[in-house]
Amino acid sequence: MRLSIKNLRAEIEGKEILRGLDLDVGPGEVHAIMGPNGSGKSTLAHVLAGRDGYEVTAGEITLDDQDLIELAPEGRAGLGVFLAFQYPVELPGVNNTHFLKESLNAQRKARGEPELDSVAFLKLIREKMALVSMKPELLKRPVNAGFSGGEKKRNEILQMALFEPKLAILDETDSGLDIDALRTVSDGVNALRSPERSIILVTHYQRLLDYIEPDFVHVLAGGRIVRSGDKTLARELEQKGYGWLTGEDEAA
Amino acid sequence: MSTEQHAGTSLNAVLQAGQRAMTPRPSNMDWLTPVRERGAASVAEMPLPSRKDEAWRYTSVGFLEQAEYQPLVEGPFDAIQLSDIDDLLLPQSQGLRLVFVNGYLATAVSDLAHQQDGIQVRSLAGGLGDVSVDLRRHLDAIAEHRHVFAALNSALMSDGALIHVDRDIVSRAPIEILHISVGMEQPGISHPRHLIVLESGARAEITERYACLGDARYFNNALVEVALGADSELLHTRLQEESPQSQHLSDLQVRLAERSRYRLVMAALGGAWSRSDVRVSFDGEGAEAELDGLMLARDQQLNDIHLDVQHKSAHCTSRETFKGILDGKGRVVFDGRIVVAEDAQKTDAQLSNDNLMLSRSSEVDTKPQLEIYADDVKCSHGTTVGELDANMMFYLRSRGIPHARAKQMLCQGFAEEVMAHIDNEPLRAYANKLLTARLAQTTE
Ligand SMILES: Nc1ncnc2c1ncn2[C@@H]1O[C@H](COP(=O)(O)OP(=O)(O)O)[C@@H](O)[C@H]1O
Ligand SMILES: [Mg+2]
Repeated sequence: MRLSIKNLRAEIEGKEILRGLDLDVGPGEVHAIMGPNGSGKSTLAHVLAGRDGYEVTAGEITLDDQDLIELAPEGRAGLGVFLAFQYPVELPGVNNTHFLKESLNAQRKARGEPELDSVAFLKLIREKMALVSMKPELLKRPVNAGFSGGEKKRNEILQMALFEPKLAILDETDSGLDIDALRTVSDGVNALRSPERSIILVTHYQRLLDYIEPDFVHVLAGGRIVRSGDKTLARELEQKGYGWLTGEDEAA
Repeated sequence: MSTEQHAGTSLNAVLQAGQRAMTPRPSNMDWLTPVRERGAASVAEMPLPSRKDEAWRYTSVGFLEQAEYQPLVEGPFDAIQLSDIDDLLLPQSQGLRLVFVNGYLATAVSDLAHQQDGIQVRSLAGGLGDVSVDLRRHLDAIAEHRHVFAALNSALMSDGALIHVDRDIVSRAPIEILHISVGMEQPGISHPRHLIVLESGARAEITERYACLGDARYFNNALVEVALGADSELLHTRLQEESPQSQHLSDLQVRLAERSRYRLVMAALGGAWSRSDVRVSFDGEGAEAELDGLMLARDQQLNDIHLDVQHKSAHCTSRETFKGILDGKGRVVFDGRIVVAEDAQKTDAQLSNDNLMLSRSSEVDTKPQLEIYADDVKCSHGTTVGELDANMMFYLRSRGIPHARAKQMLCQGFAEEVMAHIDNEPLRAYANKLLTARLAQTTE
């Protein structure tokens, strides 16, 4: 599975945020996308997942030969695109187990696979929960409602483990995590690294990359990739900040 | 004035046709004669509600002019069998089940096996034996005729459940009252009437449902009286699952003695026109009422709830949580009135009404009203009207859940705060399934 983004331009409410972005993610690769606050990292993540209101005005996004732009978010999920949200959404009154099962089965259905019954699902989810050390009672609660910051992030990674996506985009999964939680979540992600799964790690800090080692590091600034390199680029960024790349003083 | 005259005539016609249909009536209903006469006198005097009445401002009864409602008589559906209605029956029901078909008790499909000592269950028309003098005196003593339909019900009440729970008796299983309306050639009108009396320290659970077979056209004009003795507790669940062609009016009037607890969960899901009046009167100190309700108004549906909570005594608590879901040209009317009398110190009353609009052409008229005459109280109210949250929709869809289904899940989540209060599990499952089905018709 290869993700290819060419000259992508996208705007929100008439304001252009992505201004000609190119990115190529090959099978099994882990790409880190770093950049100052407001540079468009989350916008890119949402555009990849197909969010309404994020209008692509130019360029292309393909997953292998499939044009992603024309697909609705649910269609992309069916193809194996997964976004772990920077701010996971609370769904009052929607039971977490029910949500997870319904989501998995919707994706399976889209792929022409049989749906899992409750027993098979519970067995599977228990296995996946262990991977992110999530408290079982969180399954009985409404999705993310009243979860702590760390619990919400674990719930995102739990979904990644459950859906086994082909392309996972993790948007600031490290933010708001204490060091233990960061380790657990990173271990979870590392366990999910595989030659069939590409990962885009969006992060603001070098810290996460100590735990999840990327194959490539890109700097997003002003809506474009301004520099690409290997993991040493992340170290450099930590020392020097983003200013030397964006031509501004350290933003954020 | 002229419109009232015209419409008044029409209800008078309903009254007269109803009275003709009831004669000759069995002598074991003679004890009802004074109640009927009072009701008939009120019908003659009371005007038909018009938009000029504050309580009916958003709720037109214009449908009355579009049909000639025939009185429904007992008998035509004696042949109805359990297999005809099994979709409507709750699984694993352990208690009494009284089934009324077109307003009349149908013993063949009722389940009368689970009688319990200390709990008297009778039917108004006498189908379950004599009604004790003690129980008789409560009828029409709890309710007030606040509109002409209540008076009409008193004049023409066909049948209904009379339930009396003795002192300190705890009912072992929920008692179920199930109305089933079956279509007639002409739309029919029936006047179900129920009376629930709990003596002090008693505890019971009662389920009241209004369902239908097929897409029948009819008008159900129900009146329910509830009296709770000191320290008693009633869990009352009402499910309005009428046909999309029907009119449903229910007037529920509750009196609470000291330290009694009343918990109502109501879901009004059906009907072209549906209105529920709920009046709760705190007659003794330290009583509690928790009222939760859901209103669904799909395209062309009107769903109206009028609450009238009378805090007349000190140290009473009430919670009113009502939610509306609207689609198409659906309309929700919510009027939540709480009156705290001068002597009702330390009243704690909190009312909320939240509405979820799935379409721009739907309409909500919500009016919470707090009238407070005491000075040491804790009261609040709040209302919201919102649309589906775009973040929530995107979150669900990004997980592969199709648009229409995501919408349903969020509506259901919105309703859950009310539905979760249905303690009776088979009933909750049934109600949720029904809501899903009706929402599916909405969102596709
Ligand atoms: N919903 C929105 N409406 C308008 N502007 C937005 C919206 N979301 C983000 N933006 C703007 O887009 C830019 C990029 O934001 P974002 O992609 O969240 O950056 P990052 O994730 O890199 O911090 C910012 O200037 C932000 O203000
Ligand atoms: Mg961001």
